[in-house]
Amino acid sequence: MAVTSRARAVVANAAVALLTLLTIAPLGYMVVVSFMPRGESGMLPTPLWPSRWSLENYHELLVRRLIDGAWFDYRIVPALWNSLGIAALSTGLGLLLTVPAGYAFAKLRFRGRERLLKLLIASLVVPGQVAMLPLFLIFKELGLVNSYAGVILPSLAGIFAILFVRQATLAIPDEMIDAARLDGAGEMRIFARIVLPLLAPITVTLALFMFLGSWNDFLWPLIILADQQRYTLPVAVAAIAREHAADAELMMAAAVVTTLPVLLLFLSLQRYYMRGLLGGSVKG
Amino acid sequence: MSARAAAQERTAWLFSAPVLAIILLVFVLPTALAMALSVTDYSIYALADWDNLRFVGLGNFVDLFTTPLFWRALGNTALFAVLGVPMAIGASLFTALLLDDVTVRWKPLWRVLLFAPYVTSIVATAVVWRFLFNERSGLINRLIGAVGIPPVDWLGDPHTSIPAILIFVTWKIFGYNMIVFTAALSAVPGDLMEAARLDGAGRWGRFRHVTLPAIGPTLLLAAVMSVAGFLQIFAEPYVMTLGGPAQSTTTILFFMFEEGFKWWNLGQASAVAFILFLMILALTLIQTRVGKRYEWL
Amino acid sequence: MEGDARGWTRRSTLALLPALGVAACARSVAAPAPLRLWAMSWEGDYSPLLMPAFTAATGIAVEVQSLPTTASHEKLLIATAGGALPDVFMLFNGWLTEFATIGAIAPVPDPSIVAGMFPGMLDATRVGGRDYAVPWSVAPQVNFYRRDLLAAVGYDAPPGDWPALRTMALKLKRRRPDDFVFLMLLNWPTALINILSQAGVRPLRDRDTRANFSTPEGQEAFAWYASIFADGLAPKALSTEVQDPVAAFAQGYFAIWPSGPVTLRDLAQRNVPKHLWSTARCAGPRGPGALSGESASLCVAATTGRPADAWALVRHLTSVESELHFQRAIGNLPANLHAWASPQLDQPVLAAFADQMRYPAPGPKVIEWEQIQLQVQFAAERVVRGVETIPQALAGLDTRVDRILAKRRALVEAGKLA
Repeated sequence: MAVTSRARAVVANAAVALLTLLTIAPLGYMVVVSFMPRGESGMLPTPLWPSRWSLENYHELLVRRLIDGAWFDYRIVPALWNSLGIAALSTGLGLLLTVPAGYAFAKLRFRGRERLLKLLIASLVVPGQVAMLPLFLIFKELGLVNSYAGVILPSLAGIFAILFVRQATLAIPDEMIDAARLDGAGEMRIFARIVLPLLAPITVTLALFMFLGSWNDFLWPLIILADQQRYTLPVAVAAIAREHAADAELMMAAAVVTTLPVLLLFLSLQRYYMRGLLGGSVKG
Repeated sequence: MSARAAAQERTAWLFSAPVLAIILLVFVLPTALAMALSVTDYSIYALADWDNLRFVGLGNFVDLFTTPLFWRALGNTALFAVLGVPMAIGASLFTALLLDDVTVRWKPLWRVLLFAPYVTSIVATAVVWRFLFNERSGLINRLIGAVGIPPVDWLGDPHTSIPAILIFVTWKIFGYNMIVFTAALSAVPGDLMEAARLDGAGRWGRFRHVTLPAIGPTLLLAAVMSVAGFLQIFAEPYVMTLGGPAQSTTTILFFMFEEGFKWWNLGQASAVAFILFLMILALTLIQTRVGKRYEWL
Repeated sequence: MEGDARGWTRRSTLALLPALGVAACARSVAAPAPLRLWAMSWEGDYSPLLMPAFTAATGIAVEVQSLPTTASHEKLLIATAGGALPDVFMLFNGWLTEFATIGAIAPVPDPSIVAGMFPGMLDATRVGGRDYAVPWSVAPQVNFYRRDLLAAVGYDAPPGDWPALRTMALKLKRRRPDDFVFLMLLNWPTALINILSQAGVRPLRDRDTRANFSTPEGQEAFAWYASIFADGLAPKALSTEVQDPVAAFAQGYFAIWPSGPVTLRDLAQRNVPKHLWSTARCAGPRGPGALSGESASLCVAATTGRPADAWALVRHLTSVESELHFQRAIGNLPANLHAWASPQLDQPVLAAFADQMRYPAPGPKVIEWEQIQLQVQFAAERVVRGVETIPQALAGLDTRVDRILAKRRALVEAGKLA
């Protein structure tokens, strides 16, 4: 009995390990190729390891170079800052807007609450891309084309976030809040002193969702941003990818710059992310 | 209304009005406008002069239904969904079951690593996989070459372009549903499992009669959401194949993007968006209907 | 007291801040903001090389943004619609009518800017009788050919008419049955459109509101195109299947490659020996005729806040020195007549280009020309793959193009469009 269960354990663990290796392999290869000297990845048979580790791809990608008296720049570093700034602003403003709203829908009684809630849930069905074309026209009238505000504003319509926070807030016992009301505490005070601390883990999860969503957002920034100086990372990489399809090492370096920050962020906060996916309830 | 109730109401509006206003501006208004645009012939001529705009009723839809590329895009998208959903759900379920085995150690580590592709940027990973699928120097062909299969031109052959993109998409998204299924599997009633094992049911029997019914609702929900997701594939054809080769990877959304922003036929593009919306609406209604019938909702 | 001393330091530091702010503002007021230039393809990637001379002469810095060619049409349209165009930008000649009609580009204010350009080129940049752009790079197609492969079957250069060309091609194919003769891919529309031009096809009629492909000329052009593939002289392949055309040409898989000046640079960059290849005018049904390519021009945005500076930049970029510099760097061909007097352009391989430039064939001046070209490409591909016969394909093409032109037709009939 023990032998077969040990054999099974070995097989099961080996299978999982192999699967994980296959899953991580593309990302690992991406990093490895980004350090190869130019042109090496095109040689046959395909090399799996750099002949020598070189920073030239990152240098070409990130640094402004002077050639024949002229400056050449892929403008990836500005794109990096743009992505960072936009993601941070999106997250901050998004939390500010959706957390109180989620609480309101869960615990505050007001006219039209149920109807609004049904509308919100129903609107989840509509794919975001339907609104994209007219939204561009609307933003054009508002003068928001090619602006950071134009990128951030649509991401603040967090219907999913509101419902997410509401779900989490429902778990807070009503008695706690009613007791505070009886004690004479104002609504704002109740929210700030009692509810927010309880929602802290959910807020972290939501912040992570929002940050990742904003960082990886591609279609809308592609449409709304015209100036290379304002591009976010995915848009900048997509632009380079069209013309430099053959420069694999350069493209891998660009891919690393785009994925590594969020991967590191995710790995450090993955506990919250997983918990958010699995339940979203206040209790751990 | 009592003072306290009034205070609640005030606070509620204070808390929710800003985000509701934004939702109105960036979601409700444009969606309504999309319906309006889809019955006009808004095109580049309208950009030149507003006067050129005309109301055409269902003209755009009729035009679409007689455009071969539209049907091609519909077909491609349907193919993506029909092939992709089983692939993705199957991969997620398989991994979740594998991880659920009691003999596996270091579960959190595997879970995190298997989930990692999901949080990466689609553009960056599309670039990586485009390189992996390269006919001459890609790793995939090197791998299959090691077992004797001749190299395949994954992204250049209209017959293999969709499977290639599907392999990439599955890799990217399977981690999400894997976690969802993990949660569902942990809720499978343990005593039922014990009873089945004592009754002599084998692995497969236990899976079919205990596990599957227990995670059924979750499976259905995941499948329906997956279909909705596959109907909206855009970034992969945009970065990897430009909708080709021979329009084999032009999806509905890619078609809409080109009609709308490359040729500026916003009227037609809005009609496409409207059709996409109807498709997803139909899907959701079917899901609710099926779910109610099996009492899964 | 210690606290006071620290406070003083803090306060004095705070006092410095406004001063620094004023100083910073003063600095930015002194230097003018950089001009913005958008260009595609090699022109976009290498335009920075031309900027130091301009900045040295005028003190204005220029910011160059390179657009990926395949995404350039939508980026330019989106920028136009959103009011986010740069000061100066490059346009392919086929798009000039479109952008002029939607009011994106400003007319040339001073005739001296376009003086000295190839007269045929100015035809393409004129919309409604006014010049809207300055020709920048001329890119007609010529036949690049492998001298050694042609010599082996007894030819110095490819013949100029289709029947003779076909005879030669069949000889080449018999000699090397595993290789192809023409590097013409099914999703490279330019060579196909050029075949139509040379056959004398006038794509549109009735003031450019209806398609006109079902004509004897159209039939002749499509028949020639289809015969190339039917006889195995060209592969029934797309550009994704022949990922490295330069290598393929260099290795002799193809003997003749209709292409533009960019190929000059590609071949030089890959160190393909010069004695192996040369250029000749593309063949027409009864001798070489008129054809065009992917020529490009420079435009100034109608929304620019600095038209004088913008036109100065355009003048600089189309000057003889800049054009010659560009030619050295990327193989671009100047639109400036005077530049051709330079010994730098006296090379034998450029002779075919210089010759062909005198016989341009601009496309119809309609906004939808780009879309129509794609439909022609699809129709031809259907014929080549045996899905449709030529009359069927031409009739289908007419129907589809008529539909594309529906809006234009309505506007012309209502008198709103010329």
